[in-house]
Amino acid sequence: MMLDLIAASLVVFGTVFFIAGTVGLLRFPDIYCRLHALTKADGLGLALVALGMTLKAESFGEVFRIVLIWFFVALASATCGHLIAAYARQADREGKA
Amino acid sequence: MLDPVSFSEASPAPVPAQVRALQLQERACKPPPRWPRFFITLLVLALIWGVLTEFRLDAMVFGLPAVLAGAGLVFLMPATPGWRISPSGAFRFAVFFAVQSVLGAIDVAMRAFSPRLPLSPGFRHYPLSLPMGAPRIVFLNTITLLPGTLSAEVEADEVIVHMLDTQADLAASLGALEVRVADLFSLSPQSENSK
Repeated sequence: MMLDLIAASLVVFGTVFFIAGTVGLLRFPDIYCRLHALTKADGLGLALVALGMTLKAESFGEVFRIVLIWFFVALASATCGHLIAAYARQADREGKA
Repeated sequence: MLDPVSFSEASPAPVPAQVRALQLQERACKPPPRWPRFFITLLVLALIWGVLTEFRLDAMVFGLPAVLAGAGLVFLMPATPGWRISPSGAFRFAVFFAVQSVLGAIDVAMRAFSPRLPLSPGFRHYPLSLPMGAPRIVFLNTITLLPGTLSAEVEADEVIVHMLDTQADLAASLGALEVRVADLFSLSPQSENSK
């Protein structure tokens, strides 16, 4: 019962950060600021949802799967953020030249 | 442009970032030869796939070719130097990583929800002093998780960082991260004392 409550609040907090990431994506002025919102807020959102779900996991295999998914998404989002920003800067330079 | 604060404090004479990176490079271990690397990769990838699919046989249709392709790539690619990871350094890095990613997410969420939209974004340069390979990749990827910073581009031995607020102290936050990454790969005992 207590565990259910903790797991549920972690998922709810995670969702709040996903919403923050989306609000940032819509409100922030340029591509670079939007990347901040997506990489940071959504990253913590996923971590909190994943943590909540591991508390409800029924086997060790399930916990391992959730951790693995979190790890690969975190790695991919930081790397993609960097690549998108680098590409945008390159496009800016070519546009100005 | 800013001076790197973290490393020059502890050493008697300030060492240029590039020289220091070369010195640290020598600390890298030799990679294992080809065939052991191939089999280690095969084993690790097969285990990951197995756990992800609960060792179901029908999932092997996709898993087996992917595992073989991954291990084959490792066999064909030139070996990258291995790095020794310090267990206590890894623990301190994990704590730092967790705290900073929570602070970073809260910071950006507050800015997104704030009616005034408090942003003064811009780019700043920061010299890279960590050696090429794993330490530098970990450093660049973690910059994006710190509050208000995003690693945007690498030019020669500098990283161009996008900041949500250019008034924030970039040298202090990236310097702290540099110390933690060096600690993770047991690279610089002297920077431990300055912390």
